Amino acid sequence: MRKIFVGIIHFYQKWISPSFAPRCKYYPSCSSYAATAIENYGIKGVAMAAWRLLRCNPWSHGGVDYVVIKEKVGAN
Amino acid sequence: MDTILNPLYFAVSWVIITIHDLLSPIFSEDSGVSWSLSIIGLVIIIRIILIPLFVKQIKSQRALTALQPHMKEIQKKYKDDRQKQSEEMMKLYKEHKTNPLASCFPILAQAPIFFALFTVLNGIGRNPPVKRGVLTQEDVVSAAQAKFFGAPISDTFLGSDVTTVKIVTVFLIAFMSATTFTTQRQLMVKGMPKMDSSNNMMLQQQKIMLYLFPVIFAVSGVNFPIGVLIYWSTTNLWTWGQQYYVIKRNPTPGSPAYEELERKRKQKNGDIQSPDSGSNETVQEPEIKGQRKQPKKKKKK
Repeated sequence: MRKIFVGIIHFYQKWISPSFAPRCKYYPSCSSYAATAIENYGIKGVAMAAWRLLRCNPWSHGGVDYVVIKEKVGAN
Repeated sequence: MDTILNPLYFAVSWVIITIHDLLSPIFSEDSGVSWSLSIIGLVIIIRIILIPLFVKQIKSQRALTALQPHMKEIQKKYKDDRQKQSEEMMKLYKEHKTNPLASCFPILAQAPIFFALFTVLNGIGRNPPVKRGVLTQEDVVSAAQAKFFGAPISDTFLGSDVTTVKIVTVFLIAFMSATTFTTQRQLMVKGMPKMDSSNNMMLQQQKIMLYLFPVIFAVSGVNFPIGVLIYWSTTNLWTWGQQYYVIKRNPTPGSPAYEELERKRKQKNGDIQSPDSGSNETVQEPEIKGQRKQPKKKKKK
C-alpha cells in the first residue's frame, strides 16, 4: 500500500511536476515530504502530507521542514 | 461526501443560474449561449477572487531584487550541493518574510469548485435530470438541452453517440493542451530568471508537455461533460492571459522579459527628454501605501 502511494508521488515528480514552474514554499517540496512521510509512517504519513500541503499556502513564509523520523527503538 | 459538498453545489449552481438569468433576455432562456456563458462567467468570478493572491505573489517576487546579492552568494557557496543550496535559499526567504513561490493553493482551491461543477452538470445530463443546488426542475430541463456548438453541455464523450459531442470534446481537449503548452513555454522562455544548464531540462519539459498533457487531458476529458471542459478551457485561457500581462508589465527580476522591459524603459528615457510626455507613457505600478516599505529596485547595470 505504501509503495503504491509513493509510486504515484514519484510518477508525479518525474513526469508532471517538472513541466510547471517550481511553486513549493518549503524545502523539501511537499511531494518529497509526502513520499518520506508515507514511507515511514504509512497512513499517518498521508495525514502529515495533507497537513504540509495546507501549511504551504499563500500566507506562509515557507522554510526548511523535514519529516521528523523517529528512531525505531527495538522494533527491528 | 455529498453533505460536505452540498454548500459548494449551491454556490456553483447559484452563480450559474444568476448569470444565466441575466443573460436570458439577450440570448433566450434555453439557448446554449446563455448556459455556456454562465459557466464562463463562473470561471471569471473565481479567477477574479484569486487575483489578490496572485498580486501578493508578484509583490514578493519583486522584493527579491533586494535579496539578489545574498542569493548569488548562496549559489556560489554551495555550487556543488543542490540540496544545501535550496535549503539556504528557503531560509533566506523565511528570514526576510518573503517567498516568491506560489504554493499549490491556487490550484487546490479550484479543485472543489471543479468537482462541484462536474457533479452539477452530471446531474443535468442524467435521464431524467437530477436537480442539485438551487436549480429548479425548469432550469435542469432547460440546461439539459443547452448546446455548445451543437453539443449538449451536459453530455460526455463516452456517454454519447452523437458525433458533434465527440468533435467538440476533441476540439476542447486540443485547446486545453495548446493553452497549457503555450502558457508554460511563455513562462520558461521569457518569465523565469535565466539559469545555467537549464536548457536540457527545458527541452525535457517541453517534450512532457507536448505528449503527456494531451494524453492526460484526453483520458480525463472523455469522462467529463462538455460544460466542465468549457470551464477548464476558460480557466486555462485566463491563466495564459494573466501571465502574459504580468510578464509584459511586471516581469520577474532577472528574466529575459525583465531585461527587455528595462531596455525599453531606458530607450524611452534616452530618446524622449521632455519629462511630461515620458511620464504619460510609463505605467506606474500601484504601490500600496502605509505598508512595509517595498525594497527599492537597484538595477542600474
